Amino acid sequence: MVITKKVRTFQTVFTYLVLLSFAVYCLFPFLWMLDTALKPPVEVMVAKPTFLIKAPTLANFRHVLVDSAFMTYFRNSIIVAVFTTLLTVTLGVFASYALSRWSQLKLTKAVSGALLVSQMIPGVLLLVPLYILMRNLGLLSTYAALIIVYCTFMVPLVIFMLKGFFDGIPRELEEAADVDGCSRLGYIFRILIPVSIPGILATSVFAFIAAWNEFMFGYVLINDDARRTLTPGILIFKGAHQTDWASLTAASVMAVLPVAIGFIFLQRYLVEGLSAGAVKG
Amino acid sequence: MTTMNTPLTKDKAETGRSSKIKRHPAWTALLFFLPVILLLVLLIAWPLLSVLLQGFQYVSLVDPLAGGFAGLDNFRFVFEDEGFLPALWNTFVWTGLSVSGEYILGLVSALALFQPVKGRAIFRGIIVIPWVIPIVVAGLNWIWLLNPDYGIINSWLVDIGWLEQKRDWVGSIDTSLLTVTFVNIWRSFPFYTIALLAALMAVPKDLHEAAALDGAGAVRRFWVITMPELKAVSTVLIVVHIISTAINFDFIWVMTQGGPLNASETLPIMIYKYAMQDFDIGAASALASMTMSILAVGFIIYFYSLKRRRGN
Repeated sequence: MVITKKVRTFQTVFTYLVLLSFAVYCLFPFLWMLDTALKPPVEVMVAKPTFLIKAPTLANFRHVLVDSAFMTYFRNSIIVAVFTTLLTVTLGVFASYALSRWSQLKLTKAVSGALLVSQMIPGVLLLVPLYILMRNLGLLSTYAALIIVYCTFMVPLVIFMLKGFFDGIPRELEEAADVDGCSRLGYIFRILIPVSIPGILATSVFAFIAAWNEFMFGYVLINDDARRTLTPGILIFKGAHQTDWASLTAASVMAVLPVAIGFIFLQRYLVEGLSAGAVKG
Repeated sequence: MTTMNTPLTKDKAETGRSSKIKRHPAWTALLFFLPVILLLVLLIAWPLLSVLLQGFQYVSLVDPLAGGFAGLDNFRFVFEDEGFLPALWNTFVWTGLSVSGEYILGLVSALALFQPVKGRAIFRGIIVIPWVIPIVVAGLNWIWLLNPDYGIINSWLVDIGWLEQKRDWVGSIDTSLLTVTFVNIWRSFPFYTIALLAALMAVPKDLHEAAALDGAGAVRRFWVITMPELKAVSTVLIVVHIISTAINFDFIWVMTQGGPLNASETLPIMIYKYAMQDFDIGAASALASMTMSILAVGFIIYFYSLKRRRGN
């Protein structure tokens, strides 16, 4: 090759330097969050903070779990995220099957266009009418309000992700199933879904993370502490005047945990699925 | 219905079979789409229409007696609001700086991850982390890192002599918007990394090898081969993120609520305050319509220039 060994060594060292800087840049805030969460409050409020913890403690976590509404928020977030995921992926499977199977129909093209356009319409601009709609339906401060809204804003992307997987399944599979007397629903449930499980799983994790992380609608549509989800809940932790940073970081660590586990579990699928979606736009 | 019947026969001819459902694919398709269509109509199309209409009406969230046609009153009200022009300017600054910063970091990290070194997968995993966590957690955690009394970053900056004394980054008029922008870049750039990395992997290897044999250096190869290949992905990335950044509510609300003294207020924050603090739905809808129009005009210019470039 043209490149000499010396140049290559320099390139490798330089690459590692860049990657290491990025790793520090991305990880450092989390390490500091974890570090603060494990410190007793006297060590948190100091003018010269260090990573060193003199008396590591889990008291902050216990304080958050026992003395605050954290568990309620956490449970609400789980409920909302799980049902959003189930609903979105169920609707998404049928819609993207139809998109993939009958791509020539005018109806399909119209729906596909509508999905693309609605993906571009920002939620914050619809905040007011959606608030009024939910108030008129009597759904303010209910799980249903959040589940329906999250599903609407997520379903276009979920459909396009699933369609990517369904497009890869050969048409002959369905024809063979039809010859064997398998109905369309039978084909979807017995063949299409089992064959695309990795894709459906990746899409589900994506939907779950998006629902878990959403803030604005949770903040506006829920006014009852018993129904509040975690992201607005954590903001409330930050009192108006004096913030208890030890508790706040402990709550943050626990709020990130489900997302982190889901992400590590399916990192590869997610990265591939997202980049496929991103390239397509 | 005639429009739906034409492709129907075509589909039948394609497969050459005529089981009961296959004779009516349009109806089956409609059935499969129905829930999604209902959601889009009820929660996107209809609210969109009502925003456009309510901009021309007197509507209050708390006073049911307020009502009637307002003409352009709401729009005049927004224009005459002292906060409007600064908020518009802030929206441009916030969007422009965020998207350029994100793109530069995304490109550099993608190029680094593309190099054939060991442990790439681990670094890729680490770099994606900020993008996966909730904005609330990211925002609050950075407020803590930048805390003027106990924050570690202030303490370090003073120690190495970059700062004479600790600063209140989030809470000062001259730094609040820039600080939130910095945190937004930190959280959003990994998406660019993933997308650009995927595009880099799609560049044919022999193109690079051929150019290298012809004596093109790494820098020259980057500008002549890599960048043109990334152009399509980059355009999509940037356009999509200009929209999503301009209308982002979460980051600024979580970190500053538009303060101090509206120093970090953008249009979405203003919409929220009109609606949920002043209960003035008319003004909120007028401002939302204007924001949408600005975005739409930007879009049209983008598509027009794209078309013209293709035409040439």
